[in-house]
Amino acid sequence: MEKDLVEYIAKSLVDEVDEVSVHLIEGEQSTIVELKVAAGDIGKVIGKQGRIANAIRVILSASAAKSGKHVQLEILD
Amino acid sequence: MIREFEGKNEQEAIAKAMEELQVELDEFDVEVVEGSKRGLFKKGNVRIRVRLEDENSDYEEKIITFVETLLEKMGYPSTVKVNYRDNAKLGLEIVSDDSAIIIGRKGKNLDAIQLLVNVYGGQLNMGTKIVVDSENYRLRHEENLVKLAFSSAEQVKRSGRSRLLEPMNPFERRLVHTALNTMEGVTTKSEGEGLYKQVRISIDDELPPLRKK
Repeated sequence: MEKDLVEYIAKSLVDEVDEVSVHLIEGEQSTIVELKVAAGDIGKVIGKQGRIANAIRVILSASAAKSGKHVQLEILD
Repeated sequence: MIREFEGKNEQEAIAKAMEELQVELDEFDVEVVEGSKRGLFKKGNVRIRVRLEDENSDYEEKIITFVETLLEKMGYPSTVKVNYRDNAKLGLEIVSDDSAIIIGRKGKNLDAIQLLVNVYGGQLNMGTKIVVDSENYRLRHEENLVKLAFSSAEQVKRSGRSRLLEPMNPFERRLVHTALNTMEGVTTKSEGEGLYKQVRISIDDELPPLRKK
């Protein structure tokens, strides 16, 4: 579900939609979501001073609030 | 979309168009199709043709779908409605059983959703700001901020000591500054760096305190 959510947000923001890939690393208490986008689109998912990236993180943790799991977002370059 | 309206004069025809289509004056193009000037004894009649940009509703639909899909993928299926629209703003209302989580602590989640919608919307239509709300949170929050500003200012006046409010975003700070702008005896100033600064309310010493004669 986290994968779907991050993928949807990223694809809505970038130009090169096909270059978006999301990879989940599931641990016992926490999940790491790795997001990869085209090099030219990185700014679009991070934003000025990381504002967009932080908004995605807030939305991720709001989404995970129900399950109580800790979710971390990492943007790979 | 093209529609025609009739009235005694151009203004009346335009007013009719605005009433029926629920739009503002600057949202459509008007063309006078047939007009006769009002004579001394004769009532004039004007027919206008109104051209409305379909783009607008298309844009709104895309925005609403985006927010609804986002919320659904977050695990909180909701309905999104248009709350209000004017030339530069589109107000959206999220109706959901999970509105408490959707709003979040101090509106944190609502702000994150709003930021993403605005980034998404910015690609479609430059210049429209989208305001996302749920359960009237923003209105209540604004009222509370103004109340807080007034009560803090009263305390400053009573104690003579300045007070530093919690960090706020530019919009919130502006509310505080404007609320206390007309209040005599205190001044406000923002302190700190970055987006979230703090407002300090202090005694205004430039003006001598008012004395009763």
